[in-house]
Amino acid sequence: MRTVIGCLAVSLLLTASVSAQWITVKLPRTPRTADGKPNLTAPAPRTADGKPDLSGIWRRVASNKKDNDDGNFNLLDWMPDGAQIRMKPEAEALYLHRRNVLKGGGRPSQECLPHSIPDSMLPGVMFKIVQTPDETIILFEEFNHFRQIFTDGRSLPVEPQPAWWGYSIGRWDGTSFVVTTSGFNDRSWLDDTGHPHGEALKTTERFRRIDFGHMEMQVTVQDPEMYLAPFTATVRFDLQPDTELLENICENEKDSDHIVGK
Amino acid sequence: MKILAAVVAVVVLGAAQVRAHHSFAAEYDSKKPVTLTGSVTKVEWLNPHVRFYADVKDETGTVHNWEFELGSGTSLVRQGWTRTSLKPTDVIKVDGYLARDGSRLVNAVSVSTADGKKLFAGSSFEGAPKQ
Repeated sequence: MRTVIGCLAVSLLLTASVSAQWITVKLPRTPRTADGKPNLTAPAPRTADGKPDLSGIWRRVASNKKDNDDGNFNLLDWMPDGAQIRMKPEAEALYLHRRNVLKGGGRPSQECLPHSIPDSMLPGVMFKIVQTPDETIILFEEFNHFRQIFTDGRSLPVEPQPAWWGYSIGRWDGTSFVVTTSGFNDRSWLDDTGHPHGEALKTTERFRRIDFGHMEMQVTVQDPEMYLAPFTATVRFDLQPDTELLENICENEKDSDHIVGK
Repeated sequence: MKILAAVVAVVVLGAAQVRAHHSFAAEYDSKKPVTLTGSVTKVEWLNPHVRFYADVKDETGTVHNWEFELGSGTSLVRQGWTRTSLKPTDVIKVDGYLARDGSRLVNAVSVSTADGKKLFAGSSFEGAPKQ
């Protein structure tokens, strides 16, 4: 009997230990200070071919600006003071309805559909960049979604099947990784407040790893169907050191039935 | 005092690590804070949100089963909690916000056990009002 209890205790301890090791794991390639802590201001790493290596787990830095009191992030929060997103009348009417009447209700992620681009990087969801010579992959912890950015020289598809994440190709411009994406469907929101877009949406993201622990992305949104002019937001990210992504399957969605004003 | 400071720190940390899969304001009313005490009947340790259910007596003594929404399972694991942190028959006190549709649903901001120990800290939404 004692043996059984002993085994059970060891088993429980192991379970707790394994779980903790997944959340807190000392990654061997992380530069460290003398006291063993991750050195987040060490130089940005480089790949074998000399390009900056964006690989790592990242989370956006919250903006100190807030478009609304409903807790819904807005691209305007990451734009300069006084900047405007100039919409065509139909787009503005839809945006204002989503923002002021629905209060962000009905957005696709509510039903576990993708936040898409650029909204997937705004709510503070952890994501992992895996950079290889021919493609860069972004794994989002929330709902285990992913993006593929091809760097093998291919062009964007001419007649793409409209897609939530569109089709992305990347190239290096000095130390900036420039990602162009088109071929979107028109179902995602650009942010959680509700800026809309059509299938003509094209995004250009410029990623720059400032040092080991910090990265910046400028995203320019172009959609002549919905907007009078392109606009650009700048988002910064902090590396999440010594951890791993966890499984996050959207298997128990029960909020949609309670959303008011759908 | 140090313990109190630590609890406050966990609340802030918890609020900063949560997700935003749906709009807080579209589902919950920030003008209707509520405090309920009851006995846990069921825990759903899942994503996109951990939910639990508890029997709560109203002012007439009638018992109703309420639903409470927490952060994602992932975010709570990162805060150090496990699926056994909250169990059926546990008596808990919940501070949170009522659902706008009038159902017996609460967005839980904090959950404490009968002896005052705080179990879960932080709302399920980064943008939720802080208590």
